[in-house]
Amino acid sequence: MKVSRFFIFAIIFVMILGACAPTSPEVEEPAIDAPAVEEPVGADTDALCANDDYGCAVIAPGQTIKIGMGSPMTGGNAAFGIDAEQAGLIAVADADDLYGFQFELIAEDDGGTPEGGAAVANKFAADQTLVGVAGHLFSGATFAALPIYEEIGIPMLSPSATNPDLTRQGSRVFNRVPFTDEAQGAAAAEYMYDVLGFRKVAFLHDGQDYGKGLAEIAAATFESLGGEVVELMGITPGEADYSPVLSTIAAKSPDALYFGGYTQEGVVLTNNMKTSGMEDVVFFGCDGTFGVDYLSRTGANGEGTYHATPRTPPETPKKDAFDAAYIDRWGQAPGELSPFTWNSYDCTTALIEKVREVAVLGGDGSLYIPRGALVDAVRGLANWQGISGTYTCAPVGDCNIEGPTFWIVENGEFVAVN
Amino acid sequence: MESNLKSPPKLTRRNYSKIIRPIFGLLVFGSILWRLYEVLIAQQAYSAEIWVRLLISGLIIGGVYALIAIGYTLVYGILFMINFAHGEIMMIGTFAGYFLFEATKSINVAAEGSPPLSFSDAYPLISVILAFLVGMTVAATAGFFLEKIAYRPLRKAPRLVPLISAIGASFFLQNAAQLLFSPQVRDYTNPQAIARGSGWSLIINGSRVVITYTGALTFILSILLMIGLYVMVQKTKLGKAMRAVASDKNTAALMGIDVDAIISRTFIISGALAGAAGVMWGLHNGLVHFFVGFLPGIKAFTAAVLGGIGNIPGAMLGGMFLGLIESLGPTALGISYQLKDVIAFVIMIVILIFRPSGILGEVLSEEKV
Repeated sequence: MKVSRFFIFAIIFVMILGACAPTSPEVEEPAIDAPAVEEPVGADTDALCANDDYGCAVIAPGQTIKIGMGSPMTGGNAAFGIDAEQAGLIAVADADDLYGFQFELIAEDDGGTPEGGAAVANKFAADQTLVGVAGHLFSGATFAALPIYEEIGIPMLSPSATNPDLTRQGSRVFNRVPFTDEAQGAAAAEYMYDVLGFRKVAFLHDGQDYGKGLAEIAAATFESLGGEVVELMGITPGEADYSPVLSTIAAKSPDALYFGGYTQEGVVLTNNMKTSGMEDVVFFGCDGTFGVDYLSRTGANGEGTYHATPRTPPETPKKDAFDAAYIDRWGQAPGELSPFTWNSYDCTTALIEKVREVAVLGGDGSLYIPRGALVDAVRGLANWQGISGTYTCAPVGDCNIEGPTFWIVENGEFVAVN
Repeated sequence: MESNLKSPPKLTRRNYSKIIRPIFGLLVFGSILWRLYEVLIAQQAYSAEIWVRLLISGLIIGGVYALIAIGYTLVYGILFMINFAHGEIMMIGTFAGYFLFEATKSINVAAEGSPPLSFSDAYPLISVILAFLVGMTVAATAGFFLEKIAYRPLRKAPRLVPLISAIGASFFLQNAAQLLFSPQVRDYTNPQAIARGSGWSLIINGSRVVITYTGALTFILSILLMIGLYVMVQKTKLGKAMRAVASDKNTAALMGIDVDAIISRTFIISGALAGAAGVMWGLHNGLVHFFVGFLPGIKAFTAAVLGGIGNIPGAMLGGMFLGLIESLGPTALGISYQLKDVIAFVIMIVILIFRPSGILGEVLSEEKV
């Protein structure tokens, strides 16, 4: 009796599992044996692929040209990933077919973590028809994913991974469009010291690649300007209560608390500050804490806090068209969920354009995309006009080195201050 | 065992570690004392109001840990298994409370023509009581079915089997919650009267120390629940039966105690306490998501071991102790807050070196183990 009952539950459990399993992988199978089947290839594509450093991605008729995107789409920082995907989907919808091949955006959830980044990268690397990645969004995930793409030649163009070290590793495939953390950290420190007149600032970070780098650069710059760094400390991400650490910092009576990290921890810190003796201390966030999630989850506690974003795009017909399409499709204004909406659109569009430049239609009707040439083409981005501005990639892969815009929260809204 | 005792002591590896361990413990203990002296007496870096603030947050989180730890201890005392899905029971309680507050918030009780007033803002006391009742009931039900489905069929199996089943149940509940409620982080909507961050102000050394309403509620209610549980276990018939089953299942059955029913009730009680802890967590910290029970669950398990697993006052003491160490430890020792879990675990190891069965734990007889 007991055994049989347990058995029934086991069967129900398996059935539930079965119902939840994704059903898509069959689509990819033809792609894997595609190169073997394509014997009667035109001579030009043969030579092209043989001479390419990484070989060709072969897209058989009926398949789509895939652009990947890795970002957190669940958890406390999900807004970043959802926003990037929504912008990317519009970019794909805007793109015309190439020789009858459609572009497709594959957005995967990497949780913003190194483990997630590597998992998504491995999945992308296994897909023969995936030719470029508009991402990853978070620096930690990008660090882990980078070597995997490097190996098989998938060019990356990240809308938001800002850790300075990413472009110092001599990577051939990694490029990004935002300012680096170096630029942001220094600008934030200067803004706090020169404009706001703070002299004693505590610096906190979440101990991850992005936040730690940013806070350390900001602290170093602040100190070199003559300010006093009363604290530079990491916190454990993902906790629900940071009042002990804030109480300790309150003892050093700083003018402001600078935080390098993401919305989830930023929200908890801001809310805890009101009960930890830091009511009068200004919270100074970064581009990781900007977004409507921050506003709705801090409410009155968020008033008077500072945040950063990439330069707001100039008002152009292109931007208006995108904004209208975004509002129409998602019922939400771009830039609300995260500051990287326009960057995400630009990155996806730039990748698609570079694919157009290098792709060759073979004699067998398949599309041949030389991976090495695509990697070089993305790095060769010059005077490319996107919504956020004009992109020219430096030889290391930094495609835009404009500084950040700072924002203050006033009456529940972000107001630009510079 | 018998033969071991009779054989003459040799310098085996085991004996060797018996000497090394206390030395290691003393070294760590000494270095902790030295750090304490440095920060508290030599530097005097922090004034009284800082310590009061840290003490308050330590007591609040300690209360939550203690309530969850009791669940681990009750189940261990009776079944000798660690119910690793206990943190998920707490998560279910948190969600139940969340949905109740959402529901009471959506009811408009304002008179015609006046500005909208939600039920939860108009009757905060009733909605909080309701939330605790619903959270405890739902979590208790979940605990009841958890035992029925995941543990009862394995009652006669070797002890490792229900442990694996517990870990499986934990994953199952987490993922079920993720599928049902989406993986997004949600915020508790507290009634206006006990909004997070509002509270009584104390002025110490000229600076304001806030005792939040939610924090006070959490602390007082957890103490009341613990006293209630202790009285129940010591004074009532059910408590007597639970203790009888804990000390010897077979003899208890011979005395006419329905062992299965007592085990079920134990899970219901521990589930209800975890549910209450979940609602407190939601009211005070405000975050609810499918993973919310994992960390408190692990911490509370640690607390239960620290206090002596199987011992109810031990679990309460262990919970409070862990909460206070987490909150006061890094500051008192002058170490980064990133290392607060390391500090808590090092202190736990030191205590377990000197008292291997926990602070209040008794040495279990061989037969019982």
